[in-house]
Amino acid sequence: MAPEVFNFAQTPITCHAFSADRKQVAVSLNSNDAQIFTRQGTAWTPTETLAEHDKLITSIDWAPNSNRIVTASQDRNAYVWQQTPDPETGKLVWKPTLVLLRINRAATHVRWSPKEDKFAVASGARAIAICSFDPENNWWVSKLLKKPIRSTVLSVDWHPNNVLLAAGSADMKARVFSAYIKEVDDKPAASVWGSKLPFNTICGEYASPAGGWVHAVAFSPSGDVLAFASHDSSISIVYPNGPTIYNIRISSLPFVTLTWTSEDSIVAAGHDCQPVVFAGSEGGWQGVGSLDDSTSAKAAAPRAGVGRLNSAAFSTFRDADTRGQSHSGASAPADTKLLTVHQNTITSVRPYEYGSGGRVVKVSTSGVDGNLVIWDAESVSATAGRLGGMRV
Amino acid sequence: MDTAFRKIDIDAYDEDVLQEEELFDADPRDPAQVLDDAKQRQGAVRSALARSDVAGALNIVLENAPYGPNVEEAKTVTLQTLLTILNTTKATEIPAVIKGLSQDGQDTLMKYLYKGMAMPGWGDVSGSVLLGWHEKLTEVAGTGCIVRTMTDRRTV
Repeated sequence: MAPEVFNFAQTPITCHAFSADRKQVAVSLNSNDAQIFTRQGTAWTPTETLAEHDKLITSIDWAPNSNRIVTASQDRNAYVWQQTPDPETGKLVWKPTLVLLRINRAATHVRWSPKEDKFAVASGARAIAICSFDPENNWWVSKLLKKPIRSTVLSVDWHPNNVLLAAGSADMKARVFSAYIKEVDDKPAASVWGSKLPFNTICGEYASPAGGWVHAVAFSPSGDVLAFASHDSSISIVYPNGPTIYNIRISSLPFVTLTWTSEDSIVAAGHDCQPVVFAGSEGGWQGVGSLDDSTSAKAAAPRAGVGRLNSAAFSTFRDADTRGQSHSGASAPADTKLLTVHQNTITSVRPYEYGSGGRVVKVSTSGVDGNLVIWDAESVSATAGRLGGMRV
Repeated sequence: MDTAFRKIDIDAYDEDVLQEEELFDADPRDPAQVLDDAKQRQGAVRSALARSDVAGALNIVLENAPYGPNVEEAKTVTLQTLLTILNTTKATEIPAVIKGLSQDGQDTLMKYLYKGMAMPGWGDVSGSVLLGWHEKLTEVAGTGCIVRTMTDRRTV
């Protein structure tokens, strides 16, 4: 099935989060406001604006069961938004609740815990704030995970047990922490990551192989495996027993986001503008192909150069620059388009639809090109030529 | 506007500043031993080249290449050795040689190509030869290889 492409704006989509019923989506269009779009047939119309931050919003997460939105921003704040009836009109409106983050640098990433009673905010202050609700004061309070983080934390992901948290950081390490909060959590059962888990226990620390920032981390659905993508154009899959680490170096530009679609497959995307699928098990991992089907009609043009680099675009600009030639024909603009669906870096990939057995059958991506795309996660085009340089 | 404050090294006042050596795992070998290794490999590479075994020579020089601080001399020797190989290889042989390298080897070769290009006029550095290798290596290993060269703090 062809991917569904929706253009939201001419500006980048920094992040996106769908509501549980997938009829609404919260996006940040590279601005201080988060916008909620509602689906009407094949179009998305803006219905509400969440305005409270005074710097760029970096991350949004929408809790599916409690229907609360959390936003994190460069203004060092996070807000939890909840739908409450307006006292005058009785209409449901989104109202923000303050979060006491206690960080002195930008908040970079935010995720609700599986039970939705906590959330984690990554930040540039070399810390992760674990936030839980304080009903007495009607605000969210935080506890900071600090040691041994040496630089900005770029991403976080929760383990299904609601206690463990993975974090990827610009000090080139992916780590697994315990984010156990006494007031909220029951004692967690022992897992492959450890048995005694007081707050800030480090259950694992893994370096990126060629010294790249760790852009994205994710636990597998069972929570027993960790995957991270780093700026050295590689993706690593960690089995904590041993530990066994599978590292796949890719021949294209780095990934910045990834998500597990089942216990044995991962979708990763980033600067290469297309979602790529990896598959494997404890015995080994490898790249399978791209969700972006390059064999469709629009990509039938001859491929030259390396990777997805479009040499036609290059020669168009070179002709205009050095020879004063400009193509005024109707075919010219098409030549400057990338051969992929997304026309720029993909900023975020998230599960969209679940099939039988908890498998993710559709994923959504948002990009710097202002597009939101919903992909069929199982229609992988084997792209031997395209990923020719990829080996395990 | 007063911009003098920009010249202050604020990191000097930060007790918790991230140090260069924390960014990568140091080479466990002793600097003197690394230098010995580099010199020995120079000989091994010469004899491999005498047998016109370019792939073998490249494998020798790219394996366990010196990195990190305190091994400047070994780095220089290794670069010199590598340049002899690059300069004596026929352009038609290059793609096959590169395909025969391991991924580590390809990444390390890319590091040396960039190091060479950063030192124009030094020793036997020839821009056209380096660019020729760079083109062929990028075709095989992709842009990912260049990105790894840029991110890796284990500089050669």
